[in-house]
Amino acid sequence: MAIATRGTASNYLQRAPSPSGLADVLDVILDKGLVIDAYVRVSVIGIEVLTIDARIVVASVDTYLRFAEAVNRLDLAQTETAGIEELREGGSAAKRKTEGAVEGAKEKIPGLKSDKEHSR
Amino acid sequence: MAASSATSTAVYVYGVVRADELRAVAAEGVAGTAVELLEHDGLAAVVSKLPAREFRVKRRDLQRHLQVLEEAFAEATIVPCPFGTVVLSEEDLERVLLAERRDELLAALERLEGEVQLNVKAVYDEEELLRELVQLDPELERLRIATKRLGDAGYYEQIRLGELIAAAVSQRRETDASRLLGQLADSTDDAVVEAGGAYVAFKASFLVSRKKLKTFDKALERIAEAEQPVMRIEVIGPVPPTAFATPAAGG
Repeated sequence: MAIATRGTASNYLQRAPSPSGLADVLDVILDKGLVIDAYVRVSVIGIEVLTIDARIVVASVDTYLRFAEAVNRLDLAQTETAGIEELREGGSAAKRKTEGAVEGAKEKIPGLKSDKEHSR
Repeated sequence: MAASSATSTAVYVYGVVRADELRAVAAEGVAGTAVELLEHDGLAAVVSKLPAREFRVKRRDLQRHLQVLEEAFAEATIVPCPFGTVVLSEEDLERVLLAERRDELLAALERLEGEVQLNVKAVYDEEELLRELVQLDPELERLRIATKRLGDAGYYEQIRLGELIAAAVSQRRETDASRLLGQLADSTDDAVVEAGGAYVAFKASFLVSRKKLKTFDKALERIAEAEQPVMRIEVIGPVPPTAFATPAAGG
């Protein structure tokens, strides 16, 4: 669960030539681009849900409690010394985790779920 | 709803190029269709015909849309359309887009010529950031110790602590974002900044000239080096300039 991705010489800058995870793909193609006038447009089933799903930002009691928990988890007396290998993997592991979360949310959308061939 | 989309005339649109810059796109279109070019007076819309049945978005279609854009972008300057752009008929598309908005499209193609988009995200390491914030503010440290001692009984202290942390994070985010965006301004032609998550210092799409790609990368490297281990930089691209298709979005 807890993935500490510390900036090290090996992973402080992550480059990807093309978006691969669902969240990154959505970032590039959803709601971005030249919009064609509504009266000739046809709505596509599933897009609205995607749009809502892609925007997850909040400021609430829940957020505050999560911040507090995160601070409480800190072990300020100790400086962790993780192995280099672990750090190297940290970045992609964190990414996988994020993707998992977003894809998990998507599973609830009927229109998307039917894409059996592509779901992992 | 999409009742009217269940006809064979509906056209899915990926974007617009100059007709002489792109011959064909081999990649499969959404719903597994073939990609075609619909030409009109020197402009060409990259399209595919939707099957007669109702079109429902599938996860795979997101990838297909992107791949079509990427293939076209490898050959030509493209003004991309958002995912899910479907019009009723080829005639509508020709009239409403290629004819009526011809000037706008030509201007956009000119503006985007030789330009690529890079999506950059600066992400805080939660632990490193929080540790730094707590160490800088005695009140946070006091509350941290208090809530830890009180456990579940300290519900209100926890909320108070969280509230203060949220404020500190957001302030930090603001300072970092404006400073770092400023450092990238020299090597970029335009930028669109978006809201990110709680631990995202900034998330932005940059319009960068191909000639300045190296300079831009160097600038990112400098930032990443200076800000670690509290921050990590993720860059994706070059991708087609989806965030800069309209001047309004690009500023």
